[in-house]
Amino acid sequence: MRHRLLSLLVAVCVLALAPSAQAQPKDTLTVALVSHAPTLDPHMHFERVGILVNINMFDSLLHRNTKLEYEPSLATSWKPLSDTQWEFKLRKGVKFHNGDPLTAEDVKFSIERVTEPGKEKKKSPQYGNIRAIKDVRIVDAETIHIVTDKPFPLLLERLVFFPIVPRKHMEKVGDDAFGTTAPVGTGPWKFVEWKRDQYIRLEAFDGHWRGKPAFKHLVIRAIPEVATQIAEMKTGGVDLIRNVSADLVPELKSHPQTYVSSSPILRVHYVELDMRSAPFDKKLVRQAANYAIDKQAIISKLMGGLGQQVATVVQPKAFGFDGDLKPYPYDPAKAKTLLAQAGYANGVDISAHSAFIEFRPVFEAITQMLTEVGLRTNARMWDPGPAWNKFFQTEGKASNAAYGSWGNYSVFDADAVLHPLFHTEPGGWIGKHYTRVEGLDKMIDEARSMVDQPRRRRIYSQIQNLIREEAPAIYLFTQYDTLAINKRVEYAARGDEWLWLFDAKPKR
Amino acid sequence: MVVCVGVSLVTFAILQASGDPVALMMPEAPESDRAVLRQALGLHEPLLVQFGRFFGRAVTGNFGNSFFHRAPAFGLVMERMPTTLILTVLAMGLALLIALPVGIYSAVRRGRAVDQVATGTVFLGQSMPPFWTGIMLILLFAVQWRLLPVSGWESWASVVLPTLTLGTFTAPLLLRIVRSSMLEVINLDYVRTARAKGVSEWLVICRHALKNAALPLVTVTGLQFGLLLGGAIITETVFAIPGVGRLIVTAIRQLDFPVVQAGVFMLAMVVVSLNFVVDLLYVYLDPRIRLR
Repeated sequence: MRHRLLSLLVAVCVLALAPSAQAQPKDTLTVALVSHAPTLDPHMHFERVGILVNINMFDSLLHRNTKLEYEPSLATSWKPLSDTQWEFKLRKGVKFHNGDPLTAEDVKFSIERVTEPGKEKKKSPQYGNIRAIKDVRIVDAETIHIVTDKPFPLLLERLVFFPIVPRKHMEKVGDDAFGTTAPVGTGPWKFVEWKRDQYIRLEAFDGHWRGKPAFKHLVIRAIPEVATQIAEMKTGGVDLIRNVSADLVPELKSHPQTYVSSSPILRVHYVELDMRSAPFDKKLVRQAANYAIDKQAIISKLMGGLGQQVATVVQPKAFGFDGDLKPYPYDPAKAKTLLAQAGYANGVDISAHSAFIEFRPVFEAITQMLTEVGLRTNARMWDPGPAWNKFFQTEGKASNAAYGSWGNYSVFDADAVLHPLFHTEPGGWIGKHYTRVEGLDKMIDEARSMVDQPRRRRIYSQIQNLIREEAPAIYLFTQYDTLAINKRVEYAARGDEWLWLFDAKPKR
Repeated sequence: MVVCVGVSLVTFAILQASGDPVALMMPEAPESDRAVLRQALGLHEPLLVQFGRFFGRAVTGNFGNSFFHRAPAFGLVMERMPTTLILTVLAMGLALLIALPVGIYSAVRRGRAVDQVATGTVFLGQSMPPFWTGIMLILLFAVQWRLLPVSGWESWASVVLPTLTLGTFTAPLLLRIVRSSMLEVINLDYVRTARAKGVSEWLVICRHALKNAALPLVTVTGLQFGLLLGGAIITETVFAIPGVGRLIVTAIRQLDFPVVQAGVFMLAMVVVSLNFVVDLLYVYLDPRIRLR
C-alpha cells in the first residue's frame, strides 16, 4: 500500500516537473485558425481560412509584398498588349513539390480549370473572380497571353491569389485526392498531412525558387474558440493567432511570451440605410444620421484606437480613393437641425439590426448616438447564423438600418466595395435592397469595364462625391487586424490580412 | 424507426425554414449562377420530393454529398463519430465513478458533513455550464499549472480536460439520483432483514440495496447520454476536438443540409440504441419485467 502511494506521488511529481507537453521544437511554427477550409485544392473554395493556408503552399503569377505592391512571382514580368489582352513572362527553372518543372501548360490548365470553357456547370466558387478571362494562349515555353472578353481592370488583382497547380500531377491523382491527400504546388512549404478540424502539417520545400523558409515545419491548427486560442498562445502551444479583439490586446501585450502586431486592413464599417422607405428616403435624414455619430470617440474608446475614419466606404488603400473628401464631422446640433428641416422636429422611431456580434458595443454606441439626436433607434442584435441570413436576404425591409462591415475580399480597388454595397443589380449584396441613388449603378458599371486607370480614378472620385452627399449609409471607419505572436517568432501583420509565413523568422 | 422518421422530418423542416444555402455560398453571384448551383444540389425540386428522396437514401446510409465539403455527408459524420462516442463514454464513466460512491455514502450517512458537502456540490455543479467549466479547467491545468495541453485530440493527456468538463457536468444529476433512490430503499424491510441475518453492511448496500436502487439510475443514465451528446457539442468546440457535435454546429452555420441531417440522424440512432440497451438492463435488474 505504502509502495503504491509512493509511486503515485512520484508519478504526480514527474508529471508536474515535466516540461509542458506543448513546448515546441525550434524549427516548427504553429498557427491557429478558427477552422479549416473544406479542401486544400486552392481553386475549389474561396474562404479566408483556406486562402491563408494555400498561399504558403502554392504560388500565383503575381505576389503582393508587405507594402502591398505587386511583385513578380511565377511571372517575372507582365504588360498589357491591348485593352483586352495581357502578356506574362514565366519564371524559368521553377519546380513543383513533386519535382515536375513549371510550364506554360500548367498556367493555362489552372485557369481553365476554373473558367472551364465549354462547360455549363462551373464547379469552382472562384469562377466569378475571373469569369472575364476568355482565353489563355501559350505563345512559347515562357510566354502566355491572357485574353478577356471586355476590359478587365481587376485582372492583376485577381491573379495575386490565383494559385498555379501542376497539370500532369492533377490528371494522375484526380481532383478529390488533390484536395485532401496529394496537393502539390510550387510554394515554400509542401504538404505532409491533414487531419480535418485538427491540423494541417507542412514541411519546407528544398527546391523552392525563393530559397528555404526559416521554419522547417508549419502546422495550421483549427481552434474555433477564442478563449482556447488565447490559452494556447499563453502556453506556447500556438505561435500565432489572428483577429485579436481590442479588449484582449492589453492582456496579450503584457504577457511575457507574446506580443501583438496590428495593421490597417481593407475592412470598412458602415451602417447601411434603407432608402426605399421613411424616414431614410429623405437625404437630409440620412445626412443627419452621419452627423449624429461620434466616430472618433468610438475608435478611441471601443476600438482601442485602431481605426481610421473615412468619408465614404472606399478605403484609403484602395485604388480610386479620393483623399480630398472630408468625412462627416460629429455635429449633433446640425443633425437635429437637418432632422427638423426634413419634417422630423420631434424625432422619429427607427429600427436598426446587426449580426456583427464581435462589435456589439460599437453597434450599441451607434444606436445610442442616433437616439440622442432624435432618431430613436430600436436596436436588435442577431446571431450571425442562418436566421440572420434569411432575414437579410429575403426581406432586407424589416429594418431601417443595418450595421456591418465589408472586407473587399482583399481586392485593393474601389469596385470591390462599391459594387457589392451600392449596386442594385439582382444578386448584389446589400445595395439591391437598400440603395436607390440615381445614376450610381451606371457609374459603377462604367468604371468597372475600362482599363484606363486615370479615367477610372476620375469616375471613382465622382462616385465618392456623390455617395458622400447622398449618404446611402452612415460612414464610419476602417478596421485594423491584430495578430498575437509568440516572442520567439518575428512577423508583422499585413494590410491584406494574409499570413505570408515565408516572412516569419525566428527571433534571436 | 418512428423516432428516426420524426427526427429527420423535424430537422428537415427546420433546415428548410432557415434559409437558402446557395445564397450563402455565393453571396455576390448573379441569380443565373445561383440557379445552376441550386439545380446541381437538387434544391430546385418541391420540398416533398426532396424529403422523399432524402429519406429513401438515408435508410441506406446515403445522405448525399455535403454542400461545403463536397464529400459524402455520412462519411464525414462517421469519421468523427468515434471521437464523440469516446468522449461521452469516458465522461459518463467518470460521472458514474464520482456519483456512485459519493451518492451511496451520502445516503448512508444522511445529514452528515459528507452529505451536506455533496448536496452543495450538486447544486454548484448543476449550475456550471460546460463551456465555462471547460475554460476554467484550461486556465487552471493548462495555463496556470502547465500540466495538460490546452486543446486538441492527439494524446491521452489531451483527453483528460474535456472528459473532466463533461463528466462533472453530468455527475451532479446522477449523484442526486443515486442518493435519493438509495434513501428510498435503505430503510425498507428487506434491507433490515438482510442486516438482521448478519450480512455485512458492505454487502447489504452493494448487493441488496443498490440493485433495487439501480433502476432509476439506469433510466437516468440512458437519458443523460442524450444530454451528454449535446454537452459534447460545446466541449468539442472549446477544446478543438474533431467530433460530430462541432461538425453539426459548423454545418448549421453553413446551411450544409446533408451534414446536419446525417449528423442528427446518427446521433438520434445512438440515443435510440442506448435506450434499447437500457430496456434490456431493466429485465436483468428487475426480474418482474419480462420480454415477451
